[in-house]
Amino acid sequence: MIQAHKLWKKFGRHDAVRDLSFAVPEGSAFALIGANGAGKTTTIKILMNILHATGGTAEVLGIDSRRLSPRELARIGYVSENQDMPPRMTVEQFVAYLRPFYPTWDAELEKSLLRQLRLPGERRIRDLSHGMRLKMALACALSFRPKLLVLDEPFSGLDPLVRDEFMEGLLHQAGEMTILISSHELGEIDGVATHVAFLDEGKLLFQESMNDVIARFREVRVTLEREPAASTHTPSDWVQLRTMGNVVSFVDTQFSKDALGERVKALLPGVRDIDTQPMGLRSIFTTLARTARESAV
Amino acid sequence: MVWHIFKKDWKLLWPFFLAVTAVQFIPAAIRVKLGLFGEDSVLGNALSSATDIACLGVALLAVAIIHQDSIPGVRQDWLVRPVRRGDLLVAKLLFVLGLVDGAAIAAATFQVLASGFSLRESLTAAFFQNLYLTCVITLPAIAVASTTRNTMEWVIGAIVTYLGVVYLAVAFAMIAPGDFSLRTGTAWITLSAGLIVILLGTCVVLGMQYIYRTTAVARGSIAVSCVLFVTVLGFLPWKALFAFQQHLSPEPGAAHSMTLSFDAGLGKYHQPSGLTLSDQELSERINKQGSSAELFLPLSISGLPDDSILKADKSQLRLISSNGTVVYRGVGEKLEVREEGTSNRQSSAYQEFDIPEAIYSPLKSQSLRVEIDYSLTLFRLDTAFGIPALGGDLRSPKVGWCETQVNESRSAVELRCMQAGNGPACATAFLENPSTGGRNPSPSRCEPNYAPRFLRTDTDPISHYGLDLRFRDPFGLARYPVDGPQLPKSQVVLRLYGPQDHFTRQLIIPAISLHDWEST
Repeated sequence: MIQAHKLWKKFGRHDAVRDLSFAVPEGSAFALIGANGAGKTTTIKILMNILHATGGTAEVLGIDSRRLSPRELARIGYVSENQDMPPRMTVEQFVAYLRPFYPTWDAELEKSLLRQLRLPGERRIRDLSHGMRLKMALACALSFRPKLLVLDEPFSGLDPLVRDEFMEGLLHQAGEMTILISSHELGEIDGVATHVAFLDEGKLLFQESMNDVIARFREVRVTLEREPAASTHTPSDWVQLRTMGNVVSFVDTQFSKDALGERVKALLPGVRDIDTQPMGLRSIFTTLARTARESAV
Repeated sequence: MVWHIFKKDWKLLWPFFLAVTAVQFIPAAIRVKLGLFGEDSVLGNALSSATDIACLGVALLAVAIIHQDSIPGVRQDWLVRPVRRGDLLVAKLLFVLGLVDGAAIAAATFQVLASGFSLRESLTAAFFQNLYLTCVITLPAIAVASTTRNTMEWVIGAIVTYLGVVYLAVAFAMIAPGDFSLRTGTAWITLSAGLIVILLGTCVVLGMQYIYRTTAVARGSIAVSCVLFVTVLGFLPWKALFAFQQHLSPEPGAAHSMTLSFDAGLGKYHQPSGLTLSDQELSERINKQGSSAELFLPLSISGLPDDSILKADKSQLRLISSNGTVVYRGVGEKLEVREEGTSNRQSSAYQEFDIPEAIYSPLKSQSLRVEIDYSLTLFRLDTAFGIPALGGDLRSPKVGWCETQVNESRSAVELRCMQAGNGPACATAFLENPSTGGRNPSPSRCEPNYAPRFLRTDTDPISHYGLDLRFRDPFGLARYPVDGPQLPKSQVVLRLYGPQDHFTRQLIIPAISLHDWEST
């Protein structure tokens, strides 16, 4: 559905996106995760042909993103936290304006979405709250049953109630569509994303299915008989290594239940106990981001 | 989808559109109210501001239309919608050129109609005048608007563009001082070329923005267009311009028998008494004193047809020293020779050149070769009208609308005329008492504009012209054949001249001493 190949975007001397390659499978809910300034929005704007990449290419719906035409855009829904909609139009006017542009627009679905998201049709867009505006953008994006739905930081600044309404509206209509969602709030994509890609300072740290990510990351805590030697060499897939007395803790980024015990015993003599804990997405993200920054220093 | 986008903009902007349309009618109504004599000074002062506000209103509305879906930036909603950019551009142009300019045409048509001209003349004058305003206001406004996101950015862009053009114009004027073709009757060609540059520049900028969204390149195109515009206005070669005008001569070859020669026998020129000069001429003379030497070369002109006027559009002077070096190049002052009625004698005139004192002093006693390239136009009497000297009112397709009245100091009859589009290129008028045959001297108004009648480059679709015909000297030094008491029985004879032939002549004086021809 989306293929990015060695994307590069420079703003002056700053590299916002660096050598970024990833693929969004059809039917997936692909989460682009990263801290503020990681390059998520820039990447999405390149995919939507709003920005031109300095290098590399991207394909969206099988078309070079630089050649996206109204035909493709009629099958792409887009919701962004910083989308400027005509402020003097009412919700109804705006929806009515958009309707003829989409051959697949479903008027019944539009009505049900406006009702479900409790959007006031007669109110001007400039008088809507931030949350209301995002909900309106979502209603407009879903009403034509897009093949691809792109959500750029859709939860930013939303209170929990509005966020739930938004998610409800989204999940209710998700159906067969492919979703690309960017967020720095990991809790928000939990339960939505099937695939995830981590971005840090414009670089892709990894991308894989959510199940694989959850499966391969573990917080490991090893209790030794005595304090380990300072020169102990550890493998590169053990990150965030900490020693406190005779307790060594780290994050295993290639966790294998069968192999962990032998690997620990081979590297750390006098193992008394090994304790592993599954990690939440937030912890995985912060661990990876921290590791990437430390290795950059 | 063009119509759909157009309707969206209309729904959002109709109050602004109505306000701007109303503002268009204010200067039009003021001009109608001022009429021929424009005696209401309050309205006269308000007209300039009202015109500026109307132009600004059109520009701001055009900008608002473009900015409803601005091109630069990454946050606009329309960028992710299946909107054809061509449709968007056409919808915007339809609104700007159809509705906004349409309202301006309606206001101008109202003005011309209310001034008593026919509907056909009114529509034609309004349309062509608006074509000019579109080129100088609307098109640059939307070009800059397409490269900006909001009105504040546009204001900055417009100011930068304007200052850039002014700076370039000043710089170019310093490079080639006094050589602007804009001061001649061929100015319309230069201006038309400039307007074509604006039109093409706007097409390039809009194309860049609406097709490729390359704002940096589009802004560069604006800068290039400005440089080209100023270059065209300042540096179109005179020979090419005049050659083009020659091709448009109504009667090519009508002046083939006309000759121009240096006639030393006419003697040295003597400045007229200050009393006979107008205030403007007097102040020009005072300003020149000390900074430049006034050289007057006596000329003999033969072959002028009856009832004709010869006017020099440009006279380019070269002073060449005995070793063949060109020591000075300059442009002559205006030269106008009138041949009223029938006469076979030769006409004479003095050609004035103002030479900077610093150049003149070392050359004045030397023997120099003088070469003058003349670009000339022969005007022939087109038509003549008689209008009562008091309260005269004349309407005619050729002359437009003219009225006469006596001025406040009761020393002259004011003849004031207006014409839809451009007025006559040359006009003379005199007071005549048909019963006695007495006739007063006839002043002329000959500031030719060779543009087609309706190709008007002004904010007013109507041109105004007029002459003051003296019948009494307030100082009592002069007496006129037709004086005050005769006015009820007298008429103003208005003679309109049209250009017949544009042609060139070269005058060569093998050796003269400049000092001999300095004015006294």
